[in-house]
Amino acid sequence: MDSKTSRREFLSAGLMVPVVGASSGLGFFSPSGDSASGPAGSPVKLNYKTLGRTGLKVTTVGFGCMITSDPSVIERAADIGINYFDTARGYQHGNNERMVGAALGARRKQVVIATKSGSQTKDALLSDLDTSLRELDTDYIDIWHLHGKGSPADIRDDMIEAQQLAKKQGRIRFAGVSTHAGQQQLLPWLAGKGVFDVVLTAYNFSMDASMEQAIATAAKAGMGVVAMKVMAGGYRRVRPDDPLYKKLQQPGAMLAALKWVIDKPNVATTIPSMTDMDQLDENLKAMAHPFSAGDEKLLAAHLDRIRPLYCRMCGRCDGACQRGLPVADMLRWLTYADGYGQFALAREKFLQLPPELAAVRCGDCAECTVKCLHGVQVSNRMARAQALFA
Amino acid sequence: MRTFGLLLTLLSTAGAARAQAYLDCHFAPGWEQSGEVRQYAAGNLYDYKDGAAEGYLIFGFAQMRGITCKSGAETLDIDVSEMSDADSAYGIFTANLDPSLPIAKLGMGGQVQRQSAGFAKGGYYVEMVVTGVNPDCDRSAMLNAFAARMLEHIEGSDSPPEALEWFSKENLLSVRLVPESVLGLRQLKRGYVAKYKQGQAFLVIEASPESAAEVLKSLRERFDGALPAQVGDEAFQVKAPYLDGICIFRKGRYLGGYANLPGPQEAAFLAAKLAAQIP
Repeated sequence: MDSKTSRREFLSAGLMVPVVGASSGLGFFSPSGDSASGPAGSPVKLNYKTLGRTGLKVTTVGFGCMITSDPSVIERAADIGINYFDTARGYQHGNNERMVGAALGARRKQVVIATKSGSQTKDALLSDLDTSLRELDTDYIDIWHLHGKGSPADIRDDMIEAQQLAKKQGRIRFAGVSTHAGQQQLLPWLAGKGVFDVVLTAYNFSMDASMEQAIATAAKAGMGVVAMKVMAGGYRRVRPDDPLYKKLQQPGAMLAALKWVIDKPNVATTIPSMTDMDQLDENLKAMAHPFSAGDEKLLAAHLDRIRPLYCRMCGRCDGACQRGLPVADMLRWLTYADGYGQFALAREKFLQLPPELAAVRCGDCAECTVKCLHGVQVSNRMARAQALFA
Repeated sequence: MRTFGLLLTLLSTAGAARAQAYLDCHFAPGWEQSGEVRQYAAGNLYDYKDGAAEGYLIFGFAQMRGITCKSGAETLDIDVSEMSDADSAYGIFTANLDPSLPIAKLGMGGQVQRQSAGFAKGGYYVEMVVTGVNPDCDRSAMLNAFAARMLEHIEGSDSPPEALEWFSKENLLSVRLVPESVLGLRQLKRGYVAKYKQGQAFLVIEASPESAAEVLKSLRERFDGALPAQVGDEAFQVKAPYLDGICIFRKGRYLGGYANLPGPQEAAFLAAKLAAQIP
């Protein structure tokens, strides 16, 4: 994948004058000097890659706008030179697109805007597109995704027709699909269809080689790959009062995880969520420093910490229990109770098991037949679930 | 210990049973439940809401229960999210409302549109969506009827957060709870933001006057050229990129202010009015 580096400098003496249309010219940007003062910072290094066959040159750190509340963070990111912004029709019932549109309006030509629709029919998709264009205050969307698809069966011909029609009409430039699950099957299928220019996929350091292979297949077919959920779901899902919180909140882990994804040759850009100027500054560092041996160590340690507990729902253990227990489901229920304080919900789920399965005790087996590829201590965790819920 | 465990189980079961009472397809005539009650916790909300789950989690989402009702070709999906507190429930409601429409008196606040509705009561945020009908079809009467019956069964406050009353209503466009990083500043962890035709006001509630003073100090250090302002117990004003004219004050454990005004003086003038409203 084509990759190049440039330096954008931002005139930031004292109370900086915002640079509008910062896609050209050089200046100095002070990482700590957003809307505030701070010591004169080092120049921010921006790395670019080409987003597959779209030919778009995108910064390797993009901006996931979904939970951003204040447009100032988006405005500043665009002024620094971040040029990939991701939203969706469904985020905050459309309020997110409106906010993104207001923040990027004056900078529209300098940025790539991606949005999504989760509608299920051609007409509903095209109606959503009309609304997205209006809310984003633009006459074209750069990348328009079919939102949240988990298998080829989720993508019907009339959905593809909607994208092709919108493209023909110039209302979108490129067609995409976003996915959180089933990538090993879905990505090769998308690559083979030849009608999708971009895929937005969950991708992070906790995933195995088959995911890398699926992404490589998509990239080889010319699709631009955008990565999301780069932190393995380990942060926002876990609240401070959660016993897992301290395990998951390791200093530097977020940055290392972001760098891990950026380092992957088949990934063009990433869309970490950002709600404030400090997060933006932190994420910018991922472009300044390459993924290092130190980062690798940090992530390995991080993975070790979460490995015995964290079920990645890969499905590889389906059918592996000699007693017929639904292992992944039970691990998930245990996470409800242990991780999120939802004991009642977890127990309710457990009690829905057929009586013969609810009666199984893992301690009765001489040896556990379930070997988690990712290192989850299955028999221990299952025994805990039985002790808690049975 | 065993008694405690039994009590915990009984309480949990009772909670689950009570929670079901507000989910009933018979709240309006002609509707029947289709399928089981769906339940999601923070760990698996992605399965249902995909990436949009983040928008719930950031508001302290605890769990969701929902049902699907059918009437002929029409489908009504009702989802009730239990948030960490009433402020968060109101917060997610304000994040999702249509700012061009008025807020109706449904619980703490709600909006009923032609084919969808949302409202908050106590720690609960309710969403209802009708599908399978012509886009022009107005089902707001049915949605109102459902909402009214649900409200009878949902526990909690009917009053919006008191702090909202302190914002000036003149030229007010919207008020919402920002769950983290108010004005894009990490120091302002969570608070209400009122958008006006020009500028925005905000209010953050800290645990104590001392912690509020610490936050104000760190903010003042962040802004070059900040000057003292005579607002509340202590304040500063400054002109800054992206936030334009800004004034931030502390009054007791409250931090408030105005931003995105032409100059810091205008911000300080309006901030003083806001500070005067805080008891």
